[in-house]
Amino acid sequence: MLDKKISEANSGFNSEILKVNDLKQLEDIRVKYLSRNGLISKLFDELKDVSKEEKPLLGKSLNILRNDVTEKFNSIKAKLENSAGESEKKPDLSLPGITKVIGSKHLLTQTLDEVKSIFKGLGFSIMEGPELESDYNNFGALNFPADHPARDMQDTFFITKDFLLRTHTSPVQIRLMNKYKPPVRAIMPGRVYRNEAISARSYCVFHQVEGLYVDRDVTFAELKGTLVSFARQFYGNDLKYRFRPSFFPFTEPSAEMDITCYLCHGKGCRICKHTGWLEILGCGTVDPNVFDNVDYNHEEFTGYAFGMGIERTALLKYGIDDIRVFFENDFRFLKQF
Amino acid sequence: MKVSLNWIKDYIDLKGIASKDIIDKLTMSGLEVEDAVDELERYKDFIVGYVKEKKKHSNADKLSLCTVNTGTEDLQVVCGAPNVEAGQKIVFAPIGTVIPNGGFKITKAKIRGVESFGMICSESELGLSDDHSGIMVLDEKCRVGKSIVTELGLDDAILEIAITPNRSDALSHIGVARDIAALYEKELLLPQISLKESSHKIKDFASIEVKDKLNCPRYTAKVVRNITIKESPEWLRKKLKKIGLRPINNVVDVTNLIMYEVGQPLHAFDLDRLSGNKIVVQSTDIQTKFTTLDSKERTLPEGTLMICDAGKPVAIAGVMGGENSEISNYTKNILIESAHFNPSSIRKISKLLGLSTEASFRFERTVDPNGTLYAAERAVQLIAELTGGEIVSGVLDVYPEKIKEKEVPLRFNRVKRVLGYTITNGKIISILKYLGLKVIFESEKEYRFSVPTYRPDLEREIDLIEEIARINGYDNIPTISKISISLGEKIDESYFTDQIRQYSCALGFFEMINNPMQGEKIASLTGNKIPILNPQSLDMAFLRTSLIPGALITVAKNINAGGKDLSLFEIGDIFNMNPGKNEIRSFEDFTESQNLLLVSTGKENQKTWYSEEKRADLFSLKGIVNSLLEKLSFNNVFSESYEFDNPESLFEFSFFKNYDGKTIGTGGKIKKEIIKQFDVQQDVFCFELNISLLKQIQAKSKKYLEPVKYPKSIRDLAFIFDKSVTYEQVIKFIRKSASILLKSIELFDLFEDESLGNEKKSMAFSLEFYSGERTLKEEEVEKEFNHIITSVTKNFNAALRGM
Repeated sequence: MLDKKISEANSGFNSEILKVNDLKQLEDIRVKYLSRNGLISKLFDELKDVSKEEKPLLGKSLNILRNDVTEKFNSIKAKLENSAGESEKKPDLSLPGITKVIGSKHLLTQTLDEVKSIFKGLGFSIMEGPELESDYNNFGALNFPADHPARDMQDTFFITKDFLLRTHTSPVQIRLMNKYKPPVRAIMPGRVYRNEAISARSYCVFHQVEGLYVDRDVTFAELKGTLVSFARQFYGNDLKYRFRPSFFPFTEPSAEMDITCYLCHGKGCRICKHTGWLEILGCGTVDPNVFDNVDYNHEEFTGYAFGMGIERTALLKYGIDDIRVFFENDFRFLKQF
Repeated sequence: MKVSLNWIKDYIDLKGIASKDIIDKLTMSGLEVEDAVDELERYKDFIVGYVKEKKKHSNADKLSLCTVNTGTEDLQVVCGAPNVEAGQKIVFAPIGTVIPNGGFKITKAKIRGVESFGMICSESELGLSDDHSGIMVLDEKCRVGKSIVTELGLDDAILEIAITPNRSDALSHIGVARDIAALYEKELLLPQISLKESSHKIKDFASIEVKDKLNCPRYTAKVVRNITIKESPEWLRKKLKKIGLRPINNVVDVTNLIMYEVGQPLHAFDLDRLSGNKIVVQSTDIQTKFTTLDSKERTLPEGTLMICDAGKPVAIAGVMGGENSEISNYTKNILIESAHFNPSSIRKISKLLGLSTEASFRFERTVDPNGTLYAAERAVQLIAELTGGEIVSGVLDVYPEKIKEKEVPLRFNRVKRVLGYTITNGKIISILKYLGLKVIFESEKEYRFSVPTYRPDLEREIDLIEEIARINGYDNIPTISKISISLGEKIDESYFTDQIRQYSCALGFFEMINNPMQGEKIASLTGNKIPILNPQSLDMAFLRTSLIPGALITVAKNINAGGKDLSLFEIGDIFNMNPGKNEIRSFEDFTESQNLLLVSTGKENQKTWYSEEKRADLFSLKGIVNSLLEKLSFNNVFSESYEFDNPESLFEFSFFKNYDGKTIGTGGKIKKEIIKQFDVQQDVFCFELNISLLKQIQAKSKKYLEPVKYPKSIRDLAFIFDKSVTYEQVIKFIRKSASILLKSIELFDLFEDESLGNEKKSMAFSLEFYSGERTLKEEEVEKEFNHIITSVTKNFNAALRGM
């Protein structure tokens, strides 16, 4: 009896499954054969009524039936699901993605970051100092005599007679040396102020990076080596450079470092005022008077210092011809970088 | 300063050395040549032409049609100058020539229908003067067809040199020549003086009294009588014009020539206009009005150093002479002043008057006190030659305390220690000698030099080392290829701020940098502002007390430019006077702190085919702030407080992040009346954080926490509360009443509806329970959950909503 029912169920399923066209029909078959109250379950229920002798054989047949049916069912189901996906759920992959906005640092910050990372690699610490400074830290301690034309090199915004908006990052050198004993090796980035008419070439607020290294045997030759290494990393390895004598009250000997003009490659153009060279920084070995002002022994220690303008550096690197764009904060500019 | 290379060659033999080489060497030794005009190069294509014929242009009244002979051919040239005539010798620019003034190239042109094959030039077009009234008419002697380089002697190079403030000695041709002499190791030849003095004694014609010896350490004067004032000869006029000076007469021109030759400013007084024939040098003791020779009346403060005669002031010492003693065409007798003034006194008055002259520029940088006599004698010798005057014998020279040459030691090994390479002792000594220093002591290791008084900048050993380095050339200093780095502690004070910057970017904000100087109205919106003593303009007269007002200006500018949806941040310093202070005398009187500002306005997300638009609001700002603080490991460190309608505040409503009773950050929605002042119409949300204060708080240190291995049980529930119950009250209460098994509570729904009852609202929370040590039993969670329900309903008189 049961034997016959098994073979009927088998042939019934085999013929019905061939007629299945969609998932709904397949579900009907599942309910009919494989659900808890389906045909195969019922046949298993009937197994308890058969004789002891027949039980193992019929049980085995039933298991084979259930496995066969399940297997066939699953393979048809997989086929149907795949083809259903193809026809009904195929998305238009050309639709635009939904973007997320990533903000950005100001171009000056990005330029500064690059400078910082190069000097970090050269073993420099990074220090900071205030913008509202004392006249002494900004000038006096840096060997600018009172009533001296050297002070005209930096038009100053005064707050009182003795306080001012720092005109350069060099006062951080003084703060640093007052706080730490040699050896010191640090760069000091920051914002500075000069009372200069606003134009495409100058703005009353700008940014500098100061550098200082003091130890027992620091020489001008080492200053050259360090700055050349920086310039090569920043502007490119094939760069040509020169060091030209100059004057800063807090360094002696003093120099300005020029690199070949990025635009004309040294032939001479409007940007480099037809000299073929662009000035990128000022530097020199620390003047002994500065050491005296911070109680460093100027016989025992020597050092070098340098300073560069970040705006100028960014102008050169990104080919911007008006410094004012850095402070206008036009969102179209901010989003470009 | 403009320098003529031909003039330099009066003092040094530079035969066979190209101008370009000299220019490069000067720049590379510290006298930076900013601009150079090489006349040879500039005028090589211009030739002398002869105007054979002049006719009227048929189509233009003001133009002439000339036939110019170039020595080899006759060319038709259209000329617009009123003074062109047949028979003139003129400067002709053939096709292809570049005109110095304007830099354009001459091409074959049709002018009003007539062809023109070149140009007849004016002095202005050639850059020889600013005379553009007509063409330059040449002397008969000029040879047609020859280059104007030879015919007009245009073989000079004019250099514009930037002289650094320490190099007062280089503010003259001889000063520059001295550097060139050292660079090329050549001898410097100074003009020799031979005076033909008359038998008259100077004492009979003038006298000098110096009352302020501190500010006038030396006053030297010579007298020339019976002079005839006239135009200077061509050589002198040309020499001055080359360096951009306007010739005046044969006395003033000589004083200018000597100033540019030796660097000593001179002044010529009309001796007959000096009452009592007397010079008195004194500082004023009252405020004085005085008319300078530019015909301007100036108010001079008390203490101004003046040159006076017996009765009145006649010059502001070292700055400018007076109209009342100026040389005129009728001047017969003159007194030449050659003085040494205290640099800082000259600088003070020059700054105060806003009057910087060639004289004051030199005096404030120090002029050689021991060069006054040479300059005076050199001047009167020339003046006598050019004016036919008589040099009165003797000199008036008040110099009570002679300024001596300084002695400076130099250790040879120190040169290497500073520069990092070896220069031979012989070379070192030679360089310093060329610069005018004398050896006064010598030993194996150390020399002592006496330094001429025209080099006040050379006072110490290091000053001499710089001279050696720059003359020997910085190029010769090796560029080392290896450095040693100390392995000591490294500090990065910018690290924390950089992290804030980075996270702000990650949150979708763009960095801006605003000017910290603001106008009074803007700076007064917040804080206790600090004024700038000498502002550049009224809208930059104060320091910002907060980052908000500056950001609002930027927001307004961008909205005007079409950028209505903005997420911006700024990190910068703000400045506030401390409470109870009204003047800065020390660093204790004000506070400079580094702040972060986050601003958002307009749409945070645009509408897309996939998602709805989202406008910036207070809660998204607050969420951003919390994300930022969490990322900085300050999660749950700060308490919050809230504020509405504070008339003092910029915010309509705001939230504060507090720590230990101090506000670290404030955020909120800017009041309508404030944003209106900035012409902004849309809502603006800001959060300002004091980074300087934040840095002082210990952030939580990051520690590894093992991910929880046991399952979490999540239960949702909703209550109906009275409207007055706040989220904060509920959350705090639940946290307090629950056990440690409750790990998180999230508000996931909030709504008010009449169906809930009058003045009621519903808040729905998702609660998460788990333990780090074991799997929680169902009954345990159920018990916790029920306990929370009972306590909340009881405490807030709330009703549980069916979920």
